[in-house]
Amino acid sequence: MADSSHGQDDPAAELARKTAELQVVQRVSSEINTTLDLEEIYDIALRTMDELFEFHHANILLLEPGGETLMVVASRGYENQAIGGRVRIGTGVVGVVAQKRKLLQVSNLGQQRAYAAAQRRQIMKAGRHAELGDTVHVPGLPNAESQIAIPLLIRDELIGVFSIESPVRRTFSEHKRGLVSIVVNQIASAIHNARLYEEQTRTAKALEAANATLEARVAERTVALERELRVAHELLSEARNRVEGPLLGESAAVRALRDAIAREAPRTEPLLLTGPPGAGEDTVAHALHGASRRTGAFIYVSCPELRTHLRPTPPGAGSELPLANKFELAVGGTLFLDAVHELPSSLQPALQQALDRDERSRVNRASPVPDVRVIASTSRDLTRDAQSGRLDPIMRLLLKTRIALPALVDRRDDIPMLVDYFVRRHARQLGKVVDGVSAESMKRLETYMWPGNIRELRTVLERAVLLSKSTVLEIDEELLDEGVAVGSYRLVEPLGAGGMGEVWLARHRLLARPAAVKLIRHDVTGMAHEQLVQRFQREAQVTAGLRSPHTVQLYDFGVNDSGSFYYVMELLDGLDLQRIVTDFGPQPAERVIMLLRQTCRSLAEAHAHGLVHRDIKPANLFVTRLGSEYDYLKVLDFGIVKDQPGQEATLLSSQGITQGTPAFMAPELVFGENRIDGRADLYSLACTAYWALTGQLPFRASTAAQMLLHHAQTPPVPPSEVSELLIPPELESLLMMCLEKNPAKRSASALDLDSRLARVRCEWPWTEDRAREWWEAHAPDIVAGRERVRKAP
Amino acid sequence: MAEKFLTRLPAEIRPVLDNGVPAVMVTCSADGIPNVTIISQVHYVDDTHAALSFQFFSKTIRNVRENPKAYVMVSDVIGQANWVLELEFQRSETDGPIFDAMDMQIEAIASATGMSGIFKLRAADIYRVLSVEKLSHVARAEA
Repeated sequence: MADSSHGQDDPAAELARKTAELQVVQRVSSEINTTLDLEEIYDIALRTMDELFEFHHANILLLEPGGETLMVVASRGYENQAIGGRVRIGTGVVGVVAQKRKLLQVSNLGQQRAYAAAQRRQIMKAGRHAELGDTVHVPGLPNAESQIAIPLLIRDELIGVFSIESPVRRTFSEHKRGLVSIVVNQIASAIHNARLYEEQTRTAKALEAANATLEARVAERTVALERELRVAHELLSEARNRVEGPLLGESAAVRALRDAIAREAPRTEPLLLTGPPGAGEDTVAHALHGASRRTGAFIYVSCPELRTHLRPTPPGAGSELPLANKFELAVGGTLFLDAVHELPSSLQPALQQALDRDERSRVNRASPVPDVRVIASTSRDLTRDAQSGRLDPIMRLLLKTRIALPALVDRRDDIPMLVDYFVRRHARQLGKVVDGVSAESMKRLETYMWPGNIRELRTVLERAVLLSKSTVLEIDEELLDEGVAVGSYRLVEPLGAGGMGEVWLARHRLLARPAAVKLIRHDVTGMAHEQLVQRFQREAQVTAGLRSPHTVQLYDFGVNDSGSFYYVMELLDGLDLQRIVTDFGPQPAERVIMLLRQTCRSLAEAHAHGLVHRDIKPANLFVTRLGSEYDYLKVLDFGIVKDQPGQEATLLSSQGITQGTPAFMAPELVFGENRIDGRADLYSLACTAYWALTGQLPFRASTAAQMLLHHAQTPPVPPSEVSELLIPPELESLLMMCLEKNPAKRSASALDLDSRLARVRCEWPWTEDRAREWWEAHAPDIVAGRERVRKAP
Repeated sequence: MAEKFLTRLPAEIRPVLDNGVPAVMVTCSADGIPNVTIISQVHYVDDTHAALSFQFFSKTIRNVRENPKAYVMVSDVIGQANWVLELEFQRSETDGPIFDAMDMQIEAIASATGMSGIFKLRAADIYRVLSVEKLSHVARAEA
């Protein structure tokens, strides 16, 4: 389809040529607008131009960023390697076209160059070398004779140049120039659109990448911020805990303690902290000092250590000096005397003197003394000392203001929070990552007795963190074992709480023998601690003196490291009579007789020792399986026993009365008579038998007082009248006799009652086989040993 | 021998003008002294006018200012013929489409040969065509 500039075509050929050209233009228009791929567009453009003009070489050059140069992006023909070549704006045919933004056709490049070269030589001959520049290489045919270059314009803005070259002289007619302009305009539009699309795609990808980077950075920053926040929280928590530490928690006991600290902190009087060892007395002292806003120092003095450090001094040499120095250091602040009961006797006068002077100063508001707040701590039971009149003057002065620290077992609810605090703190100190303790370990920690209180808790957790190889702490029994100080026994799990204290399943540390350990509860209300201790001791001593196989056996008793009394009893498997009747209904007379007789044997021994149980009731008669013997009865709870007639019943607890004892209480106890003997127990036993036979109490009352009045005044209804079960008349007569208001009308003794019961005839005696069958039917787990239903004394 | 003798530029001379330059130009001073030179462009303006490139201050310019008549011979390499144009100077143009078209070509060559600023178009001199004569190479060779 080359242009024929020389000679005239005939009209038909001209028409055919133009039709073909038009088809090419239409096709290029169609093809070039269906793609946004630049390489494809270049290919279409070059191919179309070749088809239209049959050139030897063609270049597509695009304006580069900065607008100073054009670069060959596509090439077809003689010199493909032109791709990547650059042309400066204003240089050569292409550069001038780009500069002028107009089509340029040069048809005699060879002659033009020759003419220019001749002119150059003339100039050089004239000695004007300096005016000449270097010859510039432009990409393209080196021997091009004809060249036409067309600017690629979009809205008059140059985007590039399309250049066609040929080594022969050729020329383009006006028609061809018009045609090439049309095609080039389409190419320019297509390139422009594709570049826009490419740019948008690149921008979108860049945006996407930037977004991804940004998201990653935001996520990274978020994690970092969260970490910083967590650290800040931990620091804040640590700062707060530095004051609170073991005072963390929400139990009533620790809240009361914090209230007491807030109340006492601003005061100046000496203050005594009492409580079991390791309960956090130094922390409380620190908290008091911190909350006092005193500007002076907090001086800690370990009184036992003072004893160690004191050296023998000659008389009058001033042995009080160490304490005096501490007082001076504490001016304006707080002097904390830890374990003040162990203050060496040689220093006691100095302390007493200081406390006396301080008190006089406060009372008289004269003779000012150094401003030192004295806080002391002791784990000694001062109540006993006070009652026995052995309280020394220092303690008397200190006791005027006192804060009692709770034992850890009295604030069990706080244990998880304290565990978390100590674990995190110690893990941080050791540089370990510990998320917490396992659920099983936490349960173990919560049920442990903590004789060493918070100090022991902290020690156990520190050891656990130290030894741990996991992020979840496991605290086995061995770690806790070392802290138990309940004689030779290790507490395993709580069995329940009675009127006097908690009962725990325990195991002998060497023999592994199971046992029940009973500890005095610290939170018993209505009874002074001293009274509780006395009662506890009495129960232990009395029980230890009894040898009847039907009296629960005492293994051991004493005081543990935290000052709590305990005694260790045999562990029983079975059910108490209260539960048997409650769960399985009234029991047959022959079984009741058999149980009553065993009770009588236990009581007979106690009565023979002058002891009255005073609390015989179904819950204290424990029916157990002892080896192969079933329905073996044990009498429990000699806690309110009275050891001789005429002694005041000072140990009777009000709690015991309101919890059911009144239902089984003999009239002479109701009246508070001084002369109480074993027949009071027989009355209670008769009430118990009445309950076992009928499932009902001898009297019905809505209040304890009404019940007591019935015992004192109302004759009971015979049990046979309230029960559909057969009750032998002899048995009923014996029970009604024992239920007489007047003790003299009752059976004379437990042994007497036992022998009378032995004579009661039953049509179907309660045999070993029947007993075993009952247990197998009603408590198979106990029979099989799968479940231990335990009753603690 | 002359094939044609015309007073207008024929269409067939356009590609000759595109391809045929440099051309030979002959002028004559007022006192009758002739001058022959080579010019880089003979631009087709219309069928009665042609534009010649004015690049150097020379005898040619002086002569034309004194005597407006000039002769230009363009060689048609492809067609194997020489064209002789009898021209009469009318005016010089230093801008406009004619000047720009001619200037682009010159600048394209000059910029690539290190002669920008030296080898340049100073003006497009517009001449009226007085006569056009086509001389065959063969005829000339025979002559």
